[in-house]
Amino acid sequence: MLELTDVHTYYGNIHALKGISLKVDDGEIVTLIGSNGAGKTTTLRTIQGLLRPRSGSIKLDDLELHKLPSHQVAAKGIAQSPEGRMIFPRMSVLENLEMGAYARTDKDGIQQDLERVFGLFPRLKERIKQKGGTLSGGEQQMLAMGRALMARPRILLLDEPSMGLSPILVDLIFDTIVAINKEGTTILLVEQNALMALSIAHRGYVIQTGEIILTDNAAKLQENEMVQKSYLGVE
Amino acid sequence: MNKHIKTSISIALAAGFVAFLFGGWAIVVAGGIAGLGLGYYLFGQSKAQKWQDSIKEALLPTLITAVILLALSIFQNYYVAAAIGKKPIPFNTMLQANATGIGGLIFFSFALTLMHILPLRWQRIAQIVLLTFVVISFPFIDKFTGLRWTAQVIFALIFTILALGLNIVVGFAGLLDLGYAAFFAIGAYTTGILSSPQHGIFLNFWLVIWIAAGVAGIFGLILGAPTLPLRGDYLAIVTLGFGEIVPVLFKNLIKVTIQEPFTCWILPLFRIQTSCITFMQDVDLTAGEKGISPIGRPILPIIGEFQSNNPIPWYFLIIAIILLSVFLIQRLRDSRMGRAWMAIREDELAASQMGIDPVRTKLLAFAMGATFSGFAGAFYGAYVRGIFPSVFDFSVSIIVLCMVILGGLGNINGVIVGGMVIMSADRLFLPALKDFLAGLLKATILPALSSNPTLRAAVEQNANPILYRFLLFGLTLVIMMAVRPEGLIPSAQRKAELRSDEEIAADQAAAEAQA
Ligand SMILES: Nc1ncnc2c1ncn2[C@@H]1O[C@H](COP(=O)(O)OP(=O)(O)O)[C@@H](O)[C@H]1O
Ligand SMILES: [Mg+2]
Repeated sequence: MLELTDVHTYYGNIHALKGISLKVDDGEIVTLIGSNGAGKTTTLRTIQGLLRPRSGSIKLDDLELHKLPSHQVAAKGIAQSPEGRMIFPRMSVLENLEMGAYARTDKDGIQQDLERVFGLFPRLKERIKQKGGTLSGGEQQMLAMGRALMARPRILLLDEPSMGLSPILVDLIFDTIVAINKEGTTILLVEQNALMALSIAHRGYVIQTGEIILTDNAAKLQENEMVQKSYLGVE
Repeated sequence: MNKHIKTSISIALAAGFVAFLFGGWAIVVAGGIAGLGLGYYLFGQSKAQKWQDSIKEALLPTLITAVILLALSIFQNYYVAAAIGKKPIPFNTMLQANATGIGGLIFFSFALTLMHILPLRWQRIAQIVLLTFVVISFPFIDKFTGLRWTAQVIFALIFTILALGLNIVVGFAGLLDLGYAAFFAIGAYTTGILSSPQHGIFLNFWLVIWIAAGVAGIFGLILGAPTLPLRGDYLAIVTLGFGEIVPVLFKNLIKVTIQEPFTCWILPLFRIQTSCITFMQDVDLTAGEKGISPIGRPILPIIGEFQSNNPIPWYFLIIAIILLSVFLIQRLRDSRMGRAWMAIREDELAASQMGIDPVRTKLLAFAMGATFSGFAGAFYGAYVRGIFPSVFDFSVSIIVLCMVILGGLGNINGVIVGGMVIMSADRLFLPALKDFLAGLLKATILPALSSNPTLRAAVEQNANPILYRFLLFGLTLVIMMAVRPEGLIPSAQRKAELRSDEEIAADQAAAEAQA
């Protein structure tokens, strides 16, 4: 349902995405793996409308997303847990979550989703009144994901949710991603931690210096020699 | 306990200072405000469950404040007044004034402290009743005692509306606007143009005030638009520019010609002869430096036309405008738009990912902020009866910003207190201090200097605190930022943001221990 076709994005003169094509189907977890600086975050920012592609198209079903400003992209059902988490530091956990549902007006639905987020992350419920800026890294990651879920998105974009977290927390976050997906949310997961990402994804894309160099279903990618060498640390 | 005593002594000294400066009946107002301040403080600190405990808590601090204030007041009347060459007021009058003042102090202090034992809902109601009583009785007490402060308090209230409006832009949306006086000017000039002999238009004040607010709001949109891509420092500089341009523009709109461009300019370029359609030829829109006057005043059924020599109707009108503004601003703050402002203030990128349109949100902050300055401008024009471009210079923007910061960014009550404190300092205390110093010098060292007229003149002229008002504002701000950066009455968020991480950690630990 989300499809990028030959997307080129620039930062000034820097050619960061050199013709990215990828697609995410309804109900899937698709992962985009690649090393630092490969263009993963740039891809998500371009989908979100924070960066405008110089050429190529981004479509959500028949809707041309690349022509919309980012707040309208959000309203079309795309939510992101961004790199750096971007929590509102002086708002409480609850206020942050409520901001996630800003574009919605269905009060009952919002309340339901709030319960759902607290079910997924009981830790957030304990900290409901605490200011976002004073949470630990793991709690901020949960909040960023919870806030994105509050939009009840059609597609959830996750930018390196495992970054800087302890192994136990990483497991928890990945279990939650699977749970969210089972409940019906389509997910595009960006990761440097290829091992974990491929273990939960249906399909994967490998990005290198702004180009997709490989794509296959996740099990096959795990077997792939090049992937094993470059991203899984297998000699 | 120790803290209570310190607070009561500082309040007594501050009130005593007022009594010193003004003398006579000022003790009534000084005592009343001291009582409100002390009572509000004790109310906040109180742990009492029963009314007996409340009374016990309030007893000592109130007594200390009362004794110090009374002593200072008597000392003022019999020694200081003589020293600065004023006549002491007669014994009987002084007795009445002091009894009323100290009585007010004791009443307010106890009344507020006692409110602590009421259930929460009744506390609010009782506070509102008390505040209403104070606000309504002030101009009558002022008239009865002959203090003549109401006229100045009205100016303070005009600026308070400006501060409330600027708080939307700076406090809620986090956009530093250094040219807010421009919108005040636009509101005032709209009023001037629409209800004065300048153009022979005499619209009713009750209509004009809404038009002025609307026009100011529209200019908020227009002047806000170019600042949209800018952040932080750049935004501040551009708004500073607008603040300078607008008064200069009003000064120079004295020969305005508006012609239809096609027939007047473009066709003649091709040597085609037509008659040129002129809408306006050399019209003096604003009367330049001379300013526009007299501006029409409000008229009400029973009261008739508001007069310059009776400030009481003006006072209640501005109070009504403030109440309306506070009501509207509270609604705005709690609305979806208010939440969008806060989100934009915190993190614009994240906000846009939540589906918030940054352009619309920021423009509306400018427009809403400007609208309230339109109310202030219209009232100002009618109250002063005349407007002049020099009134709306950079210093106005800065003073209003000081009020917002001093009171507590983002907090409506704080901004009102900040506005009242700064403006009464500017309008009441500095002039009184000037008279006080002049009297003091005349009675003390000036005679000794009569042999040296140059020195004498220098001392006489420079002992004028009004000359130093900006120095004093600056000093207040610096001290405030060092001692209490969150403002007098901070919003909860602002407080959290400015406190050190350690304190927050300690708070958290305490909260966890409780749970
Ligand atoms: N704001 C920026 N300005 C200029 N170059 C940038 C900016 N952000 C990222 N880049 C460059 O774009 C490339 C891709 O970056 P990014 O998408 O952040 O990589 P990843 O998320 O895969 O680590 C890198 O070479 C990076 O240096
Ligand atoms: Mg990245």
